[in-house]
Amino acid sequence: MLLTPEIVPGLVAAGASARVAASVAPRFRVGDRVIVRNLNPTTHTRLPRYVRGRFGVIEKDYGVFAFPDTHAHGLGEKPQHCYSVRFTARELWGPAAPERDTLLADLFDDYMDPA
Amino acid sequence: MPTHAKEADPALRVKVLESILTEKGLIDPKALDALVDTFEHKIGPRNGARVVAKAWVDPAYRQRLLTDGTAAIKELGYSGLQGEDMVVLENTDEVHNMVVCTLCSCYPWPTLGLPPVWYKSAPYRARVVADPRGVLAEFGVTIPETTEVRVWDTTAELRYLVLPKRPEGTDGLSEEQLAALVTRDSMIGVGVLAAAA
Repeated sequence: MLLTPEIVPGLVAAGASARVAASVAPRFRVGDRVIVRNLNPTTHTRLPRYVRGRFGVIEKDYGVFAFPDTHAHGLGEKPQHCYSVRFTARELWGPAAPERDTLLADLFDDYMDPA
Repeated sequence: MPTHAKEADPALRVKVLESILTEKGLIDPKALDALVDTFEHKIGPRNGARVVAKAWVDPAYRQRLLTDGTAAIKELGYSGLQGEDMVVLENTDEVHNMVVCTLCSCYPWPTLGLPPVWYKSAPYRARVVADPRGVLAEFGVTIPETTEVRVWDTTAELRYLVLPKRPEGTDGLSEEQLAALVTRDSMIGVGVLAAAA
């Protein structure tokens, strides 16, 4: 499709959500304790290195989205749940980190195991 | 083309990409002009400021905003590209939220426009997750130790907008006057709004 000036306003206004209208069972529930898999792909991923191998808690289930690790390579949407996952600053950065502080990352089912 | 340390001039690379996309029949260059014009002149942090001001004066709107950010922001006419799935984070005395994208530069375009250069820079992205209070200090912001600093790493498809605390001494102001007080940085969470004089 040719991108023309006429379709720009509609394109900008509509966007393109990566949500997938598929019924996929979540692997986790809010409050579940998880450990992030120690994955180190050389291909595309949306899993930040600093949370790999760390323990977190499912804060919120955002619903079903296309999985970037496959979708980016034309290997299919592999629809799955994406969650807000809470980590304490101390879990990520050690005992010198402020006790109260936390970090939330958005992680897919395939990035985590129950802990 | 250089392959290692010395990257070609970005302007030149953009020009080459534009030529290739045009030659392949994928874009009309005028469409790029329309896109640049949209994000330079029509969409920016004043949109987000209107959302924030409305949330301050309208408790029902604030509730809708925190429950379904995408729908509540769309009520004011802001939606679309890089704002398809919005989450609004309310700053309070208990929690100070701040936003980063450590993997690239994800940012809520319909409400904040395009991200500032520092937001995309490696130092901000790397440091804000490990030392958020140190980064905040460089922005001139000190958060009490009794307040939880909560860093949101925009790693997937959600886009985050911070609802800053309403400054003290602004009770008599109109929604429009309040919107004028809201800074871009306060909606990323690296700024707080000073009390009115």
